[in-house]
Amino acid sequence: MFRVILHIDMDAFYASVEQRDQPSLRGRPVIVGAPPTQRGVVCAASYEARRYGVKSAMPSATAARLCPNGIFVRPRSEVYAAESRQIMQILREHAGPLVQEVSIDEAYVDVSERCQGQSHDESIDLAVPLAAQLKKAIHTSRNLTATVGVAPNKLLAKIASDYRKPDGLTVIHESTKAAFLRPLPLRSLHGVGPATEQRLNSLGMHTIGDLQDYKGNLRNVLGSWADELRQFAFGEDSRPLDLSDEVKSIGAENTFLRDTDDRPTLRACLRAQATEVAERLNKHKLAAHTVQVKVRYGDFTTLTRQLSLDQPVSKPAEIYRIACWLLARNRLVNRPLRLLGLSVSGLAEITAEQLWLPLR
Amino acid sequence: MKLSIAKDQLSDGLQAIHTIVPSRTTLPILSNALVRTVEGQVELTATDLDVTISATVGARVDVPGALTLPVKKLASIVRELAVGEIEIEVDDKLCAAISAGPSFFRINGLSADDFPPMPDIGGAPLVTMPQDRFKRLIQRTAFAASNDESRYVLNGLFFSFKEHKLTTVATDGRRLALAEDEVELSLDGACEFIVPSKSVAEIGRLVKGTGEVEIWVAQNQAAFNFKPEQGVRARLVTKLVEGVYPSYQQVIPRESKERVTLVREEFVQALRRAEIMTSEKSNSVKLSFTRDNLLITSNTQDVGEARESLAVNYKGTDMVIAFNPRFLLDALEALDDDEVYLELTDELSPGLLKTSSPFLYVIMPMRVN
Repeated sequence: MFRVILHIDMDAFYASVEQRDQPSLRGRPVIVGAPPTQRGVVCAASYEARRYGVKSAMPSATAARLCPNGIFVRPRSEVYAAESRQIMQILREHAGPLVQEVSIDEAYVDVSERCQGQSHDESIDLAVPLAAQLKKAIHTSRNLTATVGVAPNKLLAKIASDYRKPDGLTVIHESTKAAFLRPLPLRSLHGVGPATEQRLNSLGMHTIGDLQDYKGNLRNVLGSWADELRQFAFGEDSRPLDLSDEVKSIGAENTFLRDTDDRPTLRACLRAQATEVAERLNKHKLAAHTVQVKVRYGDFTTLTRQLSLDQPVSKPAEIYRIACWLLARNRLVNRPLRLLGLSVSGLAEITAEQLWLPLR
Repeated sequence: MKLSIAKDQLSDGLQAIHTIVPSRTTLPILSNALVRTVEGQVELTATDLDVTISATVGARVDVPGALTLPVKKLASIVRELAVGEIEIEVDDKLCAAISAGPSFFRINGLSADDFPPMPDIGGAPLVTMPQDRFKRLIQRTAFAASNDESRYVLNGLFFSFKEHKLTTVATDGRRLALAEDEVELSLDGACEFIVPSKSVAEIGRLVKGTGEVEIWVAQNQAAFNFKPEQGVRARLVTKLVEGVYPSYQQVIPRESKERVTLVREEFVQALRRAEIMTSEKSNSVKLSFTRDNLLITSNTQDVGEARESLAVNYKGTDMVIAFNPRFLLDALEALDDDEVYLELTDELSPGLLKTSSPFLYVIMPMRVN
């Protein structure tokens, strides 16, 4: 069967909901997030505000400087969550049950079953009216706009929906996918962040086309990930949709009132987070194979470090110990932190608890 | 440099060193082996900067010398050549010409001067002991070490030389293995160190059943010389794990309430069968002791269950205790004794597995909900 995947991305979701609900905000630069007088960040910005360079995750104070006329609106998370449920429901009604909710405003839909033609390209074309129908249904019943990408896999569907926004509909065909990717920047590829980009840049690669043409051995630079990245560069991606709704990770994070590298403060914070995480694990009768810490510095550089364990952990003391070890071993507290977070994943049900030797 | 060497010799030498050659490295020379003539023999050396292994093999040396050659390429060439003599001749541009019968290769080398120097540990060895006995100590303990990086002092095998005894200990915090043997110590007093697991695995590979092993220790490294009666002589030098090993003595139960003798092979077979019905979620087996009987059970919800009954000489009070079967099997499979003794106190206290030889294994039970 030819694979046909849609990626639906709501346009400036939080800001659009606010503009819809408060007509006075329409056509104006809306910034959803903390007020600029407080410590806090932008959750979302309307397209009018984005023109000034306002982006999500930027400190509100910076946003106010860039966009002095910006109207700051406090986020209403319950409203967005309810809106999201409605939209996901529309996707299921029109396009079938194979919906992977990636986040509150983003989803993949596998429509292969209902869009089979003589060739792969033809199958993709069959999905275009369906994509248009989804956009229309969301607009009619929710009065919001969405951008849709239609492509042979998840990687390309996401790239397609990023391609032209807002209110866009972009199609990438199987036969021209590699050519479509050539001029795009490396960062468009799933998994390429600043670190990988820098490494590839240093080898003279800047576009996906450069990566397609690269003759050297990427394994030396990127390790085992090189093969998958190479596939991505040619638009190949066989990752299935993840349709389960089980808990995948549990986390807690805190932003400090003032950036701090005070060890007792940080330890107390981690200890509280470990306790919270352990309580939630316990509630679900789960244990975790992976523990991750996250730090954000004053300049918003954000780092995460994790450790995977063969024997899962569930006790607060153990989670705390590993979190402290991760911070120390990676020397993450080398300057004051704005944010500290702790999360666990690789969750497994526990039926029996392995006891520990009282070693010291 | 010019020499002639039998394919088998070169192949055995490369076998001994190739596993530590890093597959990815920022230091290209680490992908190479140092090839050097020493007193009419050839010494091959590889290092990843934490562990260094040298292997000495017989050869006919016409012109002495040294250079480094890419290990993977060299090993591939040697593997594919027909059996026989291999001639290696190196020109002044560090290019090695390798010929064997109708085959000819040229590979570019790098200067021996750029190869990290072999750590120097001199003087008389701390101890010299038969390899087979040393091997036994390693086999009986190394498996219990932790691979949880955040417990780095446990990521290795603890060596303790004291009162004419060598004790090896490994633990991952849930079970602990200890083995002991008598040795002739060249020093008075005691000496303790932790060898990283990666090096222990290499030692396990290099140690043979014959000949002797010599052990040296210096500040933060230890060296092991393997001298088999025949075959490759190898030397391994490793960095040591820095840190203090936990005081393991205190977790060894001084006395237990019950003791039962088990036929090792029977117990192993029963546990292996019971293990089939465990799963990642449900990785425990229950041991139920009643008069003259041991019942081993396991079950995984929605999958099924297993029951194994063993006739044993048990006269104690009835007891049910759960263990991770892997932890029991790890130890039982490392032993060669016919009988083992399991000592238990209650369902939440550590179990103690012993043999008639100086070995013991402390294993924590699992609390089943």
